Amino acid sequence: MTFRRLGDRPWRDRPQADAIAWVPPRGDTPSRWLTVGEWHGRIGAWQQWLLETPNESDGWRLFEPDPVEFSAALVAIWERGDRVVLPADNQPKTLSALHGTGVALGPAEPMLGSYGSQSPPDRAPQWDSRPLPTVAVSLYTSGSSGEPQRLDKRFDQLDAELATQASLWPLAGRLVVSQVSHQHIYGLLFSILRPLCENSPFATQPCRYPETLHTWLQHCRTNGHRMILVSASPALSRLPEALDWKPASAALETIYSSGAPLSRSASDLVHERLGTPVHEVYGSSETGGIAWRVQQRESAWTALPGVEVSHGDDNRLWLRSRHLEIPDQWQRQADLIALTDRGFELLGRADRIVKIGGKRISLTAMDRALSRLPGVERAQTLTLQRRDLRLAAIVQLSPSEVPHDHRQHRDTVKRLRRALAAHFETPVLPRYWRFVAPWPTNAQGKLGAEIRQRLFLDLEDRRAPRWLGERVHDSGWRVTLEVPEHCAYVDGHFDGQPVLPGIALVHWAMQQARRLFALTSDFDGLERLRFPQPLLPGDRFEMSLEHRRGDGAESLRLECDSWRGKHVSGRIALVDRQERES
Amino acid sequence: MTTTALEHELKQMIIETLELEDVTPDDIDPEEPLFVEGLGLDSIDALELGLALQKRYGITLESEAESSRQHFANLKSLAALVESRRQK
Repeated sequence: MTFRRLGDRPWRDRPQADAIAWVPPRGDTPSRWLTVGEWHGRIGAWQQWLLETPNESDGWRLFEPDPVEFSAALVAIWERGDRVVLPADNQPKTLSALHGTGVALGPAEPMLGSYGSQSPPDRAPQWDSRPLPTVAVSLYTSGSSGEPQRLDKRFDQLDAELATQASLWPLAGRLVVSQVSHQHIYGLLFSILRPLCENSPFATQPCRYPETLHTWLQHCRTNGHRMILVSASPALSRLPEALDWKPASAALETIYSSGAPLSRSASDLVHERLGTPVHEVYGSSETGGIAWRVQQRESAWTALPGVEVSHGDDNRLWLRSRHLEIPDQWQRQADLIALTDRGFELLGRADRIVKIGGKRISLTAMDRALSRLPGVERAQTLTLQRRDLRLAAIVQLSPSEVPHDHRQHRDTVKRLRRALAAHFETPVLPRYWRFVAPWPTNAQGKLGAEIRQRLFLDLEDRRAPRWLGERVHDSGWRVTLEVPEHCAYVDGHFDGQPVLPGIALVHWAMQQARRLFALTSDFDGLERLRFPQPLLPGDRFEMSLEHRRGDGAESLRLECDSWRGKHVSGRIALVDRQERES
Repeated sequence: MTTTALEHELKQMIIETLELEDVTPDDIDPEEPLFVEGLGLDSIDALELGLALQKRYGITLESEAESSRQHFANLKSLAALVESRRQK
């Protein structure tokens, strides 16, 4: 095994002609290997850059998407004996929150991927006897309170983890291709540090899209390279079937996935298309790697060597691990697990941390950010199992801010999403919005599961209205509803303004009445029911319902009003089911 | 501004594939960015849009992924991509 610890500085003495990285083909430019000598030139360049950059602290905040520049900067900082701070992303709010953790390094415009004309020229690196810093990297992640939490990783922690992975799954000189960010622990370990410690080349560019992966695989197959793919569930669960994976995938040795568990069906599909099972690694920034599995062999998770797993009465995971800050102490985690005789299963988390598209997000932080926006009185976010997993927001706006029609609704959603975009990356922003009034609660005063389900029922049932709350009114109920834009009742003509047919309102009224009045009677006709003007898709309206019974007649009084005026007024005649049958 | 039948079809595809619950075809300006600003789509949407284009039109995006994603800039560029490369 060719593993060397980071503590032994494996970057220094490798033969200059060795390949450290693989430059993929681009257009007519063929692929080539980047040598250790060339990479050392980049380390020297960074050393000079750091020397010339005033910094009163020993910290450097590094956000650098280019793997070669990133790794060279990392080594240059360590060789100075300084500390590396890794922001999780480059959102303005993330970066400003880390102000005071050192001098920022990295391109001002990250999408360009390099320093362009500012890039410091290559220089021979300087190796001296300065000791490595105590803390190798400080990572930032969302803590359960929603505040960014700093996690310091010492070299011995990282080395314990890298050694475990090297012994379980040696890279053996194969090409490491990454689809994940090295600003996070998983990408840092698997796509940068493992190749450095195991003398395996890594790709000089991230492989963001399936089409790129396909081309690179074809290239590797033609040239006899073996590839190791460091990926995650968003990319793996969306592999296009139209690409002909079969011949190309022969070049693929292993696939890793981490960040969020892969569904069994996605795992099977990847296995089928790429011909290689996915090794899933379970862990977090706090804990490092905990366990792994290959679902086609076993759905339960197996603890990594050097990691001990147990659980308390409350199903909380207890962990003793060489990857933790204090290696010999049992520590309780927020994960919920069930131990089985073959390992353990994941049951979720005890806090409000979720993963959207592989990105970790604290719902507490999202709720707080949302509640602080102008016009927002109260907000709660939740996950919906739609298109994998997406965020939804339940928001109570101040009365003057409540949107009344489609246009206002769109504008409000845009305004809120734009404001949140300063704090969060786009994929984690809420996709489904419910502007409730008043705050909906059950008999226990809580916004319980049943209410949550009712709020998003229209996503499941294209004939249902968007329900936004209800309250007792006179001797009946007043329900706040919206006409969903894609409601099945809305006439979807290409031209002309689509409208909601009046009969849909009658249908909705009967549905709400059955629930609110525990109605058992049936519809028996319309009585003096007028439809002065139709409702449009996106319209918000109040439906007032009153159940009347007397003189042998039963009816439902119905009024629908929006800010544009009245839409329905009149009565629905009801008949007792048994009476009708007799 | 005229909306072609293909542009309308693509709007419907985007709305349905990405489950944009409150977006109607009229809300999508053919010249406005689809991602981040404008319609507000994200990296997961880009992957799903790529899948939908393959399924519906048999379009395999180039390996020069960066450049082919430029076709995703707005609805007009997307329509041009489909127009020139559709297999079905």
